[in-house]
Amino acid sequence: MKIYIVIHNLFLILGVLFISQIGRSASKSLLSTNPFLGIAPQDENYYKTSSEIFKCKDGSKKLNRAQVNDDFCDCPDASDEPGTSACPGGKFYCRNAGHVPLLLFSSRVNDGICDCCDGSDEYDGKVKCPNTCWEAGKVARDKLKKKIVTYKEGVTLRKQQIEQAKLAIAKEEEELSKLKSEEKILKGLVQQLKDRKEQIEKAEEKERLQKEEEEKKRREAEEEANKEKSKAEKEANQEKNEVKEQVGSEEEPMESTHDDKIGVLDQDVEEDKSNSVAEVEHTDKSENASPTDGIEQHAAEGKEESPVVHETDLHAGNEVSPTSDQATKQENDVAENTEGLSREELGRLVASRWTGENTGQHTEEVDAVKHDHHESHEETPEDTHAEEYDGYASETDDDSQRYDNDDMEDPVDEDFGEDDHYDSSPPYKSDTEDESDFSDITSTSNPSWLEKIQQTVRNILNAVNLFQTPVDKSEAAHIRKEYDESSAKLSKMQSRISSLTQKLKHDFGPEKEFYSFYDQCFESKENKYVYKLCPFKQASQEEGHSTTRLGRWDKFEDSYRTMLFSNGEKCWNGPDRSLKVKLRCGLKNEVTDVDEPSRCEYVALLSTPALCLEEKLKVSSFYQMFNLLFLSSALDSPMVKCCRNYNRN
Amino acid sequence: MAPNINPTLPLLLLLLLFTLHLSSVSAWKKEEFRTCNQTPFCKRARSRKPHSSSLFATDVAILDGALTANLRQPPPESPDQDQIKPLLFTLSVNQNGVVRVKIDEDPSLDPPKKRFEVPDVVLPEFESTKLWLQRFQTETVDGDSGPSSVVYVADGYEAVLRHNPFEVYVREKQGKRRVLSLNSHGLFDFEQLRVKQEGDDWEERFKGHTDVRPYGPQSISFDVSFFDADFVYGIPEHASSFALRPTRGPGVDDSEPYRLFNLDVFEYIHDSPFGLYGSIPFMLGHGKARGTSGFFWLNAAEMQIDVLGSGWDAESGILLPESGGRIDTLWMSEAGIVDTFFFIGPGPKDVVRQYTSVTGTPAMPQLFSTAYHQCRWNYRDEEDVENVDSKFDEHDIPYDVLWLDIEHTDGKRYFTWDRVLFPNPEQMQNKLAAKGRHMVTIVDPHIKRDESFHLHKEATSKGYYVKDATGKDYDGWCWPGSSSYPDMLNPEIRSWWSEKFSLKNYVGSTPWLYIWNDMNEPSVFNGPEVTMPRDALHYGGVEHRELHNAYGYYFHMATSDGLVKRGDGKDRPFVLSRAFFSGSQRYGAVWTGDNTADWDQLRVSVPMILTLGLTGMTFSGADVGGFFGNPETELLVRWYQLGAYYPFFRAHAHHDTKRREPWLFGERNTELMRDAIHTRYALLPYFYTLFREANTSGVPVMRPLWMEFPSDKATFSNDEAFMVGNSLLVQGIYTEQVKHASVYLPGGQSWYDLRTGIIYKGGTAHKLEVSEETIPAFQRAGTIIPRKDRYRRSSTQMANDPYTLVIALNGSHAAEGELYIDDGKSFEFKQGAYIHRHFVFSDGKLTSSSLVPNAGRTLFSSACVIERIIVLGHSSGPKNALIEPSNRKAEIELGPLWLRRGKSAPVLTIRRPNVPVADDWTIKIL
Repeated sequence: MKIYIVIHNLFLILGVLFISQIGRSASKSLLSTNPFLGIAPQDENYYKTSSEIFKCKDGSKKLNRAQVNDDFCDCPDASDEPGTSACPGGKFYCRNAGHVPLLLFSSRVNDGICDCCDGSDEYDGKVKCPNTCWEAGKVARDKLKKKIVTYKEGVTLRKQQIEQAKLAIAKEEEELSKLKSEEKILKGLVQQLKDRKEQIEKAEEKERLQKEEEEKKRREAEEEANKEKSKAEKEANQEKNEVKEQVGSEEEPMESTHDDKIGVLDQDVEEDKSNSVAEVEHTDKSENASPTDGIEQHAAEGKEESPVVHETDLHAGNEVSPTSDQATKQENDVAENTEGLSREELGRLVASRWTGENTGQHTEEVDAVKHDHHESHEETPEDTHAEEYDGYASETDDDSQRYDNDDMEDPVDEDFGEDDHYDSSPPYKSDTEDESDFSDITSTSNPSWLEKIQQTVRNILNAVNLFQTPVDKSEAAHIRKEYDESSAKLSKMQSRISSLTQKLKHDFGPEKEFYSFYDQCFESKENKYVYKLCPFKQASQEEGHSTTRLGRWDKFEDSYRTMLFSNGEKCWNGPDRSLKVKLRCGLKNEVTDVDEPSRCEYVALLSTPALCLEEKLKVSSFYQMFNLLFLSSALDSPMVKCCRNYNRN
Repeated sequence: MAPNINPTLPLLLLLLLFTLHLSSVSAWKKEEFRTCNQTPFCKRARSRKPHSSSLFATDVAILDGALTANLRQPPPESPDQDQIKPLLFTLSVNQNGVVRVKIDEDPSLDPPKKRFEVPDVVLPEFESTKLWLQRFQTETVDGDSGPSSVVYVADGYEAVLRHNPFEVYVREKQGKRRVLSLNSHGLFDFEQLRVKQEGDDWEERFKGHTDVRPYGPQSISFDVSFFDADFVYGIPEHASSFALRPTRGPGVDDSEPYRLFNLDVFEYIHDSPFGLYGSIPFMLGHGKARGTSGFFWLNAAEMQIDVLGSGWDAESGILLPESGGRIDTLWMSEAGIVDTFFFIGPGPKDVVRQYTSVTGTPAMPQLFSTAYHQCRWNYRDEEDVENVDSKFDEHDIPYDVLWLDIEHTDGKRYFTWDRVLFPNPEQMQNKLAAKGRHMVTIVDPHIKRDESFHLHKEATSKGYYVKDATGKDYDGWCWPGSSSYPDMLNPEIRSWWSEKFSLKNYVGSTPWLYIWNDMNEPSVFNGPEVTMPRDALHYGGVEHRELHNAYGYYFHMATSDGLVKRGDGKDRPFVLSRAFFSGSQRYGAVWTGDNTADWDQLRVSVPMILTLGLTGMTFSGADVGGFFGNPETELLVRWYQLGAYYPFFRAHAHHDTKRREPWLFGERNTELMRDAIHTRYALLPYFYTLFREANTSGVPVMRPLWMEFPSDKATFSNDEAFMVGNSLLVQGIYTEQVKHASVYLPGGQSWYDLRTGIIYKGGTAHKLEVSEETIPAFQRAGTIIPRKDRYRRSSTQMANDPYTLVIALNGSHAAEGELYIDDGKSFEFKQGAYIHRHFVFSDGKLTSSSLVPNAGRTLFSSACVIERIIVLGHSSGPKNALIEPSNRKAEIELGPLWLRRGKSAPVLTIRRPNVPVADDWTIKIL
């Protein structure tokens, strides 16, 4: 029955082609009528000797000639049964005239499945295999033709690219050396301006000191008074805070007092501080916590939540609420206080042991599905949370041990994730920013900008008198401005130099054929994921707004036929992610077939003209294939002729 | 193996906790599951003192061919104690040495509710084997003050009911030696159902879950003694030694009892009495002195069983008759009734025959399902499937079944496909089928609560879900999120479920698709102990606590029936289940669940599968390679070499593990794994014959050594080696980098190394060199094993291939064996459409005769011939053999024992006898 399906399909392919009739009669050849069945042409002489004694190819045994292809395995190397299935591990040769010959495992002989397109592997009469070699051969020929055409075109494209790359590299090298010499000059100018600026500043400082001396006394008195006042304020606020914590309210007041006090300080510093404070507090909590009743549990949770909100606020702006929710959940995971969990959270938590996903992610996934299917609101986490909390928090238990255990494992993991998350995008963007910013200095068409600066500096240095007090305000401003502009220009120039140096250090292939990849990223969409490959930089997988780094650029492998991105984000219970990109000849740069054959080890195909090597067209395998498909089967003769020839054989 | 569970347990846990820190891999969550002390009925029963039962039998009579009595208690000493209502006692006898004892509340005394009696487990045919008792004798047994009632059981056996104190036992008629007894230690206790009164607080809380227990405590417990037993075995499923170690008694510190409670246990450990996915409350005792006996309690509630180490009752000071070699056990169950079966043996095969006469013999499997299965969570999409499939061909490795785990569905809605990943499932299956291969998809009992999911809508509107204690559809959490569970206890719901497997209803299925039932304990991620609450309600007001251990059984049954229906009764079902209960053997295969890729778990797979086989579930195996974690290559190869002899041979892996298909570990390892798989394929005719033996007699495919050598004491606790049928002995290799292994070969006859043909003496342990090529395996002298030596892509293509017979001669130059053949898939064999040959070699002559009754009819024929006959242990010299009746000669030469497999000394080979396997013939060595 199953076999008929195959045959049926093959017939469909063949359609009304009368070739099938001929094919069928051809496949009926029986072992008895052809004692040399399954023997490859290069072996024929070995079998066709007239001697009555046959020696196993490995020399281990001498047999009677009648024992060759007698459907009983005698030789340990299977050489006495090339045409039957008797020897495990033997090989059966099918000629497949009109297509390419095939060497099959002997396990395929007379197994009821047509493997050779000429049907010669099935001769026991159990199934009938039509000869499909001409059709299959034609398909293969067309494919090969197309491949050759592609290759030829690709070779041309590749040559062009190599030319362009060489020009571009030369240009960049030239630019680099020019930049380097200009940098030297500019450095000198900036130094001069700096010296002058410092002189002016010294004079100004002197002026200011005099002024300050005059008001010193009065100010000292004032400051004394201020200090007293702020101390009192601080104490009052702290008390207030403690009270609020006990009640379990939000944490905002504490934040605002910080703001009041150190409002002048840099934002970041402030954030960091409050974070670390909150973190200490939080670890304390989770170590001691044995939530014995619902209320206290709630309170603890509220506190845990706040630092997290804080953090996400800092990083993610408007995505605050979902993320913080998720984070809270993760923290619950860490503690594994299963009793405090809602039914749903518990379900997710237990499921996550098998899946390895943290429950937060799980929520996202399941929720996404839910949105698709418009599920009832009852099932959203928030609702059940509130509803079922009190009911299941009422049992005491000895979970304190587990707090300690699990606390240690998960945060590490999460830190990893978080870090990587924010790491991943900037280098990508900053490159392009750099590029646009350089327009003013890189423009080789305008060589005079440096001269202009030189001129200006000379003018300034000449015009301004030294050590005049009081300092001429406009002159000082002018110098400062010039200094700022020049040093900004210098640092831009330096960063351009370093990025060019970086770039030119890369291995662009033996003929610089991969040069054009440097500023390119290739994308491929597979189901819900978008894969982004930026050669020499990094590769990532994007799903909606979340980005996972699959790897940083590592190197070419396999003589420039594979690109390797390694050290991607860590996998739960698995290795760091990595991506191998196999390159093959194609007319466009195109990523296809991204796959994850093993956990967190990705592979992708990238077709590119860079791989269309001229030598390859001349390589023997190509030729062999070409010969087999085109020359040996008499391309231009009608198929009937071809197959008659085959029959006569 | 560690000699004692208890000291190692805490240590193990410590170790586990430690590794938890290091590798950030979590492990067995012990504290999520109840201990006996946290389980009130278990705690109560365990603390009861011997002879605390004061029951006595009155009103002994014969009623409906059975011995009946009332069990009463003396009136309470103080009036505020409850007066226990009399219990109804029934003892009936069935053919072939089965005694059934039932004790229940008397329905005529108005109990609040009928206690649950597990339906559909005992075969309907069993009832017809009941012996209609006519009378009983009364005698006063020596040393007793009161009378006992005695009835006939079988030739040489009697059942005895001692009236006061109440005790039941089976004894030998001659010499009155006891075989099995119940309540000899007076631990019997039966908590009767009560109606809740004001102030009764029966609620039980565990880990935030509350069990309302509307009928109060209702547990039952009693002691059972196995006489003349050196060891007891059975009561799966536990990851522990085969011979059950004592859980109480002198020298045993603080062990849990063996627990029978179907649970989905994450990362179970390899040496624990902890309850796993399935439960079979059937225990066997075996000893050198008498033989084997068995005890089965048909009860699906949570059960805890203590094996009491000798001397456990030293304080009671009472010695039972023949107390030497006796093993006492304590059985405790949360609910249900006493419905117990005593099996008198006396041989091990007699006991499994007796047990399967009650619960059914294993189903005859599809031939393909006895071959190799390739599974992984998950083969991602159609392309992945195609790649894996073609890689097997590329490496000339046969396989028969490719499996798809949960991710193939649309959002874990079973019976659906993720159409992005699997746009053309029929086409995919047809492609596999064109190579004679099959596919298995997973169908679990949790149904996604999604209004747009037709199955959920239908089940909701028909009221087909299990209800919670308040009567609403029970809502639990599993893979799809919020889920409900069809109430498989109800035959109507089972029938509804089974319709879902029709080709029309299961869109995207084909006739080549079979089913895997996972998570049917049932697993409920947010339920107490990761399962359903005990107070959930089933059909007929049955509480989940009463039927818990059988939920998976009914689910398996309904699925299996579905496949039978799909095939119009013409295609044998294949359904793999994780949960099981007594009787599951009738519905398909099981496996040992989510094991781990380490050497200890490789080792424990043998006692686990042996235990399953002994208790009826012969079609079982463990995940080859280990489900969790990445096996080292050597472990993986060893696992293939061992797994090739599991009755159910499947490789499986967790989705976080690296790919581990057999070709991924370098040429040499591919070769080793290919060779292991080929060994299984070569032995498929032998395996299939054994499956048929199991199907007719209940005797398992994979057997403990003592089943074949019941009086060889050295085999009784050996669970590193096992028999496949009566002819093959296999010893696993359970440690890495070993150069030598000690293998005990039992019996008086010799053994032939399966690979090399080298002969070894029986009855002694041999220190053998171990190579990476194979694990030690031996053919027993005096046996004939049929093989098919040609390699194919799958078992399907082997149908027409010729056979090889391997004759291993014993000391008297004789041997015998069997070969069973049928169409491999239909039920026609039940009408006699099969070939069953008996091969006997003696006096230099091999004779093939039929074992088919009415051999004249040929309902099934085969054109297969025997192409090669290998005779081990025969002197070389003869050159020819004469084949009768065709009067032909066949050449005799020295040939290899295996083609293309290592160098072995050449063995006597009859070349191309080409006798039809279906015919009668003789071949005489000249």
